[in-house]
Amino acid sequence: MSDSTPHSGHIPAGGPAVGQDEWVARHAERRLIRGGPLGTLEDRLRRVPWWAWLIVFLAAFSLLPVVESSGYVRRVAFDTVLYMLLALGLNIVVGWGGLLDLGYVAFYGIGAYAYALLASPHYGIHLPTIVAVPAVVAIGAVVGLMLGLPSWRLTGDYLAIVTLFFLQLFQTIATNAQGLTGGPFGILNVDPFHLFGHDLAVQHGGVFAVSYLYVALGFFAVVYVALRFVNESRTGRAWRSLREDPLAAEAMGMPVNWLKLLSFSFGAAVAALTGTLFAALSASVFPLSFYFVLLITVYTMVILGGAGSQAGVVAGALIIGPLLELLRDASKSRIIFFVALVGALVLMGRRSRPVAIVAVATLVLGFLVHAVAGAIDPSWVAGEHQPGFAGFVDHWVIVPEHLARWIPPVSYVGVIGAALLCTMLRGLPRLVALVPTLYLGAFVWENVMLSKPEPARYIVLGLILIALMILRPNGLLGERRVEII
Amino acid sequence: MDTFIQLTIDALTLGSVYALIALGYTLVYGVLKLLNFAHGDVFMVGSFAGFGVFQALGGSDPTVPLWLFLSLVTLAGMAVCAALGVAIERFAYRPLRDAPRIAPLISALGVSFFLANSMQLLFGAAPRTYDTFAIHNAVLYTSGFDIGNVHMPLLRVITIVAAFVLMVALWLVVNRTQAGKAMRATSFDREAASMMGIDVDRVIVFTFVVGSALAGAAGVFFALRVPTTVSIGFVAGLKGFTAAVIGGIGSIPGAMAGGLLLGFAESYTQGYFPYVKDHTQWSDLVIFVILIAFMIFRPQGFFGRADIRKV
Amino acid sequence: MRKAIVLAFALLATSVAAASAQGSGSAADKSAAGYSCSKTITLPLVTPITGGAGFLGTEQASWAKLAVQQWAKKLGLKVKLVTGDTPVEQGATPGQALAQKYVADKSVLAVLGPATSGAVAVSSSTYFAAKLAHISPSATRTSFTQGPKRDATPAFFRDVPGDYVQGPTDAKFMINKLKVKKVVIMDFQEPYSLGLAAAVENTLKKGGVSTTRLSAPNTTTDYSAYVTKVPSDADIVFFPTQKPGDAQTFAQQLIEQGKKAKVFGSDGSNDSSQFKQPGSYVSNFAPDITGIKSDAAIIAAWKKQNPNKSVGSFGPPAYGAAQIAMTAISMACKAGHGSTTRAAVFHTIKKVRIKNWILGGSFRWSTKSNDPLNAKFYIFQIQPNGSYKLVG
Repeated sequence: MSDSTPHSGHIPAGGPAVGQDEWVARHAERRLIRGGPLGTLEDRLRRVPWWAWLIVFLAAFSLLPVVESSGYVRRVAFDTVLYMLLALGLNIVVGWGGLLDLGYVAFYGIGAYAYALLASPHYGIHLPTIVAVPAVVAIGAVVGLMLGLPSWRLTGDYLAIVTLFFLQLFQTIATNAQGLTGGPFGILNVDPFHLFGHDLAVQHGGVFAVSYLYVALGFFAVVYVALRFVNESRTGRAWRSLREDPLAAEAMGMPVNWLKLLSFSFGAAVAALTGTLFAALSASVFPLSFYFVLLITVYTMVILGGAGSQAGVVAGALIIGPLLELLRDASKSRIIFFVALVGALVLMGRRSRPVAIVAVATLVLGFLVHAVAGAIDPSWVAGEHQPGFAGFVDHWVIVPEHLARWIPPVSYVGVIGAALLCTMLRGLPRLVALVPTLYLGAFVWENVMLSKPEPARYIVLGLILIALMILRPNGLLGERRVEII
Repeated sequence: MDTFIQLTIDALTLGSVYALIALGYTLVYGVLKLLNFAHGDVFMVGSFAGFGVFQALGGSDPTVPLWLFLSLVTLAGMAVCAALGVAIERFAYRPLRDAPRIAPLISALGVSFFLANSMQLLFGAAPRTYDTFAIHNAVLYTSGFDIGNVHMPLLRVITIVAAFVLMVALWLVVNRTQAGKAMRATSFDREAASMMGIDVDRVIVFTFVVGSALAGAAGVFFALRVPTTVSIGFVAGLKGFTAAVIGGIGSIPGAMAGGLLLGFAESYTQGYFPYVKDHTQWSDLVIFVILIAFMIFRPQGFFGRADIRKV
Repeated sequence: MRKAIVLAFALLATSVAAASAQGSGSAADKSAAGYSCSKTITLPLVTPITGGAGFLGTEQASWAKLAVQQWAKKLGLKVKLVTGDTPVEQGATPGQALAQKYVADKSVLAVLGPATSGAVAVSSSTYFAAKLAHISPSATRTSFTQGPKRDATPAFFRDVPGDYVQGPTDAKFMINKLKVKKVVIMDFQEPYSLGLAAAVENTLKKGGVSTTRLSAPNTTTDYSAYVTKVPSDADIVFFPTQKPGDAQTFAQQLIEQGKKAKVFGSDGSNDSSQFKQPGSYVSNFAPDITGIKSDAAIIAAWKKQNPNKSVGSFGPPAYGAAQIAMTAISMACKAGHGSTTRAAVFHTIKKVRIKNWILGGSFRWSTKSNDPLNAKFYIFQIQPNGSYKLVG
């Protein structure tokens, strides 16, 4: 899926023309200069319309259950679709409206709770799915409007705080209002979706049933297309101008406050819709499912993909969702780490050849250190040995039999310090410093982080957020903002 | 009456900690116009750093005189946090100084997440208790003085007084020293300040040192009485910036007043709110509703100035 | 830069693909086809390893590991213990996802846990649908096995008694032994404490004791304001927390405010390294196994693997649960002549009897429910030196 319009064609020779943004023009120019087969391929891909990408993507995703019958993989795929939906919704508020909404997951929770109340034995109401889901979406949109009201008066940071309070308020109510929400016991036995005359079973023999995956994909397709049209409408253009410069937008006579409200409301509606899926699938809702960590996760997806780009945030969800799941597992998280390491080096290597030397030097250093350490005291390298790739790693990284208590904190802080130092150095010193840093990083990953996947996953998330904001705030597919000073 | 006095003591104890945290938010907001979401986690790191020194100096059986012991523990928390604050500013915020305002906010969220989880990775999720109760047969709890029938234990006296000493010291630094002047100038108008020959980078670093050190002290004062865990940063941060906002973010007396006010609100609602059937505890709800209303109707707080946007 | 992005994408895609190819290999899952007992059996332990209740899970994991080492070979099995993390802060999602993961893994014939009641409630139906028995060493919510409205399926077993024993035991001890007149009961707005608080309150009221109820949010750290609400003539504060450090704070703050009431903690606060205020009480589903003669060798082996750690009360039942699970698998294997199914293991569990039970005496199941027969709760008082002494 590409967000760029298919007709962003040729730039007349002789540089930028009158009335065209110079930076944009240059950008297109640069792209045209890139020759060779890769360049041609890129240009071809760019001409494929967005809906073709969407169809290909949906088709590929729907094939997944055919090739993979594990209920676990299907469940992860389903969760990823939920993340994609959540990211699309957050993108409206953050990417298009330019508002920092820290209460976003509360709407997800409101959607889940609203569906649970409308279709469960809790109050004995069992609305048909075809009624309940639109009702919940409407509720989400209305509550979104109400939360948006403070944005009449507030800007930036203040809005962030109010929305964060709203999330806390939602948590408090969900936990305390036992009559309404079941309190900490939650609401159980929520109805499954009932579509086309069938109850959609959540599982067959304990294995996750595919029907929900397809329903979720259907929701996703509808939301994606609808938002695409919204974005290309008057409202979408108005949002973009609001984000770029609220004051200028206001001066041009745009109903700025109304636009803010609208973006809140749209985002909330999408989140609420996602909530119905979650509640129907889990057949239960609990206050704790809508927590701050989830908020950060969705933010990372949006930022990584590129706030403002629909395709981007979907890509972000597609990367972060499975990544977080894979990092739970030591053997997989090991592979991811080393692939990421090599990947980072390759990316850097495009600009400076010596990076290849760094890689080789790190490899050599590893074997050297391993040999020396093993010669001094065999127990330093006597950690658990695994077959396959892990076995190779074991011959390269030191994995002591017993870690002394001081090693994890010292090595962890050490590698962070070393990495920060590398960012301050330039040229040859940096390359030299990079070698031990990389090796120390591998040591920390193998010895400290692999055994504690839960914090390790979120450390990765936090680092991605910080690094992205500094190195590439527009994410993978987002548009680079032209700062007007 | 006894209950009231007791709750007031609680409120002062809590409020002084909140005020110290709030000052860090307010100082940084003043010079950078940035809500430092990671500040609560700096507070948490401070409580752990203090705990390390506490244990190293003998734990509940201190090897040095009590006054020195408590001072060293507090200083350790402050020193570690000051260093951490400088590092965060240098690597997570400085590269974003000219980016759109949303960028450092998101980076701050990342830092907060990173700190909390790094601490969990290294030290686990188990709570850490400064065993002050066991020091010299609970001397910190049994001595002190009485107000009516209510006992005011020494430990609370120490933390409250120390917190106020730090606040007065801060006030003096900001209002009576050259560095404070530079800080005020920067917070008034960064660009103009740099044109007047003020090294803005240095001022910002100094601000982070001061603000983070205060958070470190707050972390120690907090954890001297109740267990600390790696996850307290989020709630503490929330309370701290709430206090800062109530007082009017950017205003130093505002942060102090806001912190105390929040302490009172929390203590009295917890103490006086009756238990409602069906196990509900609505005191939190009341606080959040007040806050949201406050934010909407008086976003500039008690001491803040209304924001005038320049085009 | 575009090229860089394409490259980054490709790399991420390959890494994700490579990683998921590694070890997933779980093709069509046919639990009915039978699993050869000579192959390695995966035994998952679902418990909070991280988060606020992480101490509980790490302790359980260390004991379950020991049980696998000591029993797998003896029972003729190859067993690999894996842990699934369900931090209590993250609600239902991890428990559900893990259930899917283990159902999909055909080398899993029985599951240990989930350790926390919340995780049991959301995943039991998935396990039951796959005929996968799960034995919890610590989920004590009454409605899992008793009463008309069940929160768990018949696939749920537990080797410790539930709160239907703990609540009345604690309350009766207060009435009969401590002769209490006035008791304050706290809850923390989470299911564990709410259930237990209600059970204790009921029995106390029936016994004519006057009770006061308090409720604090689960995020509370400083209880001082709640301590002011404790009447000065109250005898006991029942404090059913899952955070032992908080019970200690409360006990200290009672003293600080000159209240004479003693803290009475539940199984969740049974941790002698954190809750150590002399005079307080703690109840737990396991006795202090260091006093059981037949356990001496087990304890010695555990201490060797976990130097500098003290024997807690969450670990031994996990050892027991692992022992039951492996015994059942081994019995089912014998009955199936070298291969077995999840359903066979599920139906065998109730036949398991263990002669030298780690918690003392012998173990067998109740015939009425999936609870242990005649299991009881034990009450300890904390001594001036911080040790726990059995008093009831």
